[in-house]
Amino acid sequence: MRAALAADQFYQETRDLRVTGFLLFMVSDLVLFSSFIFAYLYLRNTGQGWPPPGAPHLNLALAALNSVVLFGSGATIHFALENWKHEKFMKFAGWTLATIVLGIMFLSGQGIEYYSLYTVDHASWAGSGIFGASFFTLTGMHGLHVFAGIIYLTVLLLQATQGKYTFKHYTGLTLGTLYWHFVDVIWVVLFSIFYLI
Amino acid sequence: MAVTASQPGGIADHIHPEPQGFIRKYVFSIDHKIIGIQYIVTSFVFMVLGGLLAELIRIQLMNANGGFMTPDTYNEVYTIHGSTMVWLVIVPMVTGGFGNFVFPLQIGARDVAFPWLNMVSFWMFPPAGLLLYASFLVGAPVAGWTEYPPVSLQGGPGTSMWCAAIFLVGVGTTLTGINFLVTALKMRAPGMTFTRMPLFVWAQFATAPLVMIATTALAAALAALFMERQFGVPFYDPTKGGSPLLWQHMFWFYSHPAVYIMILPVFGIISEVFPTFARKPIFGYKMIAFSSISIALLGFMVWAHHMFTSGLAPFLQLPFMIMTMVIAIPTGIKVFSWLATLWGGKIQYTTAMLFAIAFIATFTLGGISGVFLAAIPFDLWAHGTYFIVAHIHYVLVGGSLTGIFAGMFYWYPKMTGRFMNETLGRWTFWLFVIGLNGTFVPMHWLGLMGMPRRVAEYDPQFQTINRVESLFSFVMTFAILLFFINALWSIRHGKRAGHNPWHARTLEWQIPSPPPYYNFKHIPTVLANPYAFDEPVPYAGLEDELTDSPVPIPAGAH
Amino acid sequence: MEHREPAVHLGRGFWSVTFALAIVAALSIYAWVVAPIAGWLPEAANKAQQIDALFRFLAASGTALFVFVVGYLLYFAIAFRRRANDPPDALGVQIHDNNALEFWWTLIPTVFLVILVVFSIKIWAGIELGPNTGLTVEAIGHQWYFTFRYPQINGEITNAMHLPVGQPVTLRLTSADVIHSFWVPGMRMKADMVPGLINTLHFTPKRVGRYQIICAEFCGTLHGEMDKQWFVVDPPVKYAAWYDAWQKKNSTASNALPVQSNARVAFGAGDAKIGKQLFSQKCTACHALGPFSQRIVGPGLLGVLHDPAHPNLVNGDKATRENVAEILQNGYKGDMGQMPNQTANALSNTDIANLVAYLNTLK
Repeated sequence: MRAALAADQFYQETRDLRVTGFLLFMVSDLVLFSSFIFAYLYLRNTGQGWPPPGAPHLNLALAALNSVVLFGSGATIHFALENWKHEKFMKFAGWTLATIVLGIMFLSGQGIEYYSLYTVDHASWAGSGIFGASFFTLTGMHGLHVFAGIIYLTVLLLQATQGKYTFKHYTGLTLGTLYWHFVDVIWVVLFSIFYLI
Repeated sequence: MAVTASQPGGIADHIHPEPQGFIRKYVFSIDHKIIGIQYIVTSFVFMVLGGLLAELIRIQLMNANGGFMTPDTYNEVYTIHGSTMVWLVIVPMVTGGFGNFVFPLQIGARDVAFPWLNMVSFWMFPPAGLLLYASFLVGAPVAGWTEYPPVSLQGGPGTSMWCAAIFLVGVGTTLTGINFLVTALKMRAPGMTFTRMPLFVWAQFATAPLVMIATTALAAALAALFMERQFGVPFYDPTKGGSPLLWQHMFWFYSHPAVYIMILPVFGIISEVFPTFARKPIFGYKMIAFSSISIALLGFMVWAHHMFTSGLAPFLQLPFMIMTMVIAIPTGIKVFSWLATLWGGKIQYTTAMLFAIAFIATFTLGGISGVFLAAIPFDLWAHGTYFIVAHIHYVLVGGSLTGIFAGMFYWYPKMTGRFMNETLGRWTFWLFVIGLNGTFVPMHWLGLMGMPRRVAEYDPQFQTINRVESLFSFVMTFAILLFFINALWSIRHGKRAGHNPWHARTLEWQIPSPPPYYNFKHIPTVLANPYAFDEPVPYAGLEDELTDSPVPIPAGAH
Repeated sequence: MEHREPAVHLGRGFWSVTFALAIVAALSIYAWVVAPIAGWLPEAANKAQQIDALFRFLAASGTALFVFVVGYLLYFAIAFRRRANDPPDALGVQIHDNNALEFWWTLIPTVFLVILVVFSIKIWAGIELGPNTGLTVEAIGHQWYFTFRYPQINGEITNAMHLPVGQPVTLRLTSADVIHSFWVPGMRMKADMVPGLINTLHFTPKRVGRYQIICAEFCGTLHGEMDKQWFVVDPPVKYAAWYDAWQKKNSTASNALPVQSNARVAFGAGDAKIGKQLFSQKCTACHALGPFSQRIVGPGLLGVLHDPAHPNLVNGDKATRENVAEILQNGYKGDMGQMPNQTANALSNTDIANLVAYLNTLK
């Protein structure tokens, strides 16, 4: 009994450490995005007006659709973790899978946008001035985060099916969910600064 | 009622099994003490290299028309000198080095929060240093440690290697910052409330968020410079719509806090050395702790004071001037508190204490010239000259490095179980202090009279002063050489120190020297702030630490 | 865990030392007040006098503070050392803090800094916010020299910057390549020369003489040699003579002449072969035969008319033959830098037609 209590306390404290560390890691990652967002806003406001000459027109409709997909995935991952907490493994797996699929859909949408920017508008990373530099760097960085998130969730799902997590001890799943929400929130900011203002 | 950070039986009681074999024990170790020593040793190796480069600079400057090196070589040499001393010596020494070795011991923990991550952080550091030095093979960067574009966009692949090296060492430092912050928040021994933390812990606690946030901003700036140089993605090149000032903003948003990353832990060292050898409580504990935090916060709001001549909008200049001057207030509080700590003491003159006392004088000089530079009209005069060189060296050599020597003489017995030689230590001290001031005091004058920095040749009217500086710099180098000889010799031949030779009161001195891999047999309970010398040492549960009682068993033993 | 603080008595030693330090501090303040700063480094402009006044204030108060800190440091270090007859476990006075003392040593520096801020802002406003009146001169940084432009003088002056004594000046600074910094120690002021930006300095020359102009921002290999040009303050008559001489000398300088013609270029007559030859004579100093990003001064021109990544020219116009010819005729000035016009480059309209024909073959 005492040993079980100690083990439980050990789990709680480890969980506490890992969640705190992970939150701080996300703060740090947020600073990385913020720095590039600062760079973009700085260039945008110190140059000769925006959009700079030759910058392509962004496809708001496609991006909006893509945003809905990503926000949807934020909801599905939330349902996934809630179901885990309520000990419903199959529902957890389903919602997680849905999240992964939505993530892939988002990346495909971004791929379509990049492709059209490249072929129709002749826009490129290095060749389109500060537009290319800020747009492709920031959305690309975010895309890499989504890609990493898809891998991350896939690994978590596999680990869960192999019984690495119990319905009481599931720190890894919490962290994965946190990460996915973080990527979601970053997209809200990127979408607003590139497509809305 | 004591706030308990960690209950017995929980994470704090967790012990890793004792590492077996040379590699696991000393190379890829996850023990914070070994990692701390690895950081210190690696930093000192880079300090030798950076110091040699400094002497090459001083040899070149002995003649007004240079001639010892070509201008390009000279530019490479001072760039790598500055980059080495900032990123490969002082930052890793005071955070990764002293931070790793001392800080977990002082909070009564068995390790940092994420030991494995700690090892990964360290192992980003030596490759980054090698990469930086490898840039000499392809033409090292030339634009100084600040690497302002567009000039840093010109030139060979060395600058891109510089970006990659600093990025790598930066990632390691960021992870250390995260690690330390979690450790400080979650791993303190039972009873160690915030007002009972030793001041070195406070210093690390204030530094960790600085490291974590500022270094990431630098990483972004470096990544952008790298992308621009390698792939032509325009961020900084004005001919492509970029802005050279963008780099300055991003770089100084890191590099001004970096100055506090380099000095706050040293403030912590001084705050430990002073009470121990004055046999007195630190004066104004709360204000010293509070000033560390306020310096860390203000440190983020002053970066553009490096840009007063750059063409910053006028309405932006004033707040930065005012915030910079505000930082002088908490810094002044610290200096006055240290002075008051000496008053009424029974001061023991160990080498560590000598260095700590010298620190007050030299750091104050650097701080005062800092206030000068905050005043924009004076900055228009002194910016980009040898006055700046004098200021940064008074802060980093007279401040950080002097404090590092104090810390080395102070904690060496804890790291090795032996003293460093005190006679040799005194020689080191006097030669170092004479060399330091002889080298850097005249630079204030040179800068004001018209010598710009980063020049391979200069106006002949400054030649005599430069030669005098060079001679003093050789004295300083010799002093540092004596220190290295002392440190190496004492590992085997130093006098045995016992567990608490200085009769210090923080936790690390209550256990054997060097501490065993598990640090504490039982996690102690902290009853009070450590600085009341007239009371018993305020810890419970340390009875077994110095006895032959059985060592604790690794958790789970799996 | 409340400690009872022991009573603190500051003895005669402390007060004698304080008195001695006060005298040393007062002497050093006096020394700075009378220091012949203008004798060490002449004050060339009105702002130099003001900045020196600020420096006097900073140096005097800084030295006084330093005297007190180091004086007390040495005094405490000596007076409170452990003596030979002290027991090994002798302790110092166990005081922890003193709210009144800490209050005062926070308040006094704060008051001092407020004074310093007000003093600094006053001088700063005169430099940064001065009116753009008086003589306007432009200085341009190059790797590794300065050039100067004057109103109604054509071309750039390279030897020295002459200004008349007593007349307000607005100095506009920029750069042709990397960041430089325009520093005249005799004026105490500097401002960076940033490509794509114009920074200004306002001042009135006050003292006839010759002052070194120094680059104070690292700008490449020969940065150290950018200290060989002079800022010359002349009496008004002498300045007028200098100005007239330069105006005459430069009356034929290139960038003043009107554009020869904006007549339509007959593209049909363009010969790519002759154009190729012309290109190697006239263009390769500034333009590479490479992609856009391969920049010397201007962009690389390979495929200038056929690059899908660059449908527009640097001036924003569509990449057509007409628009390329237009740049060749009128020159270009913008964020890319600048390119001289047809006359300055000595190009006839036939030359332009040949060049366009050649550029059109590059893909």
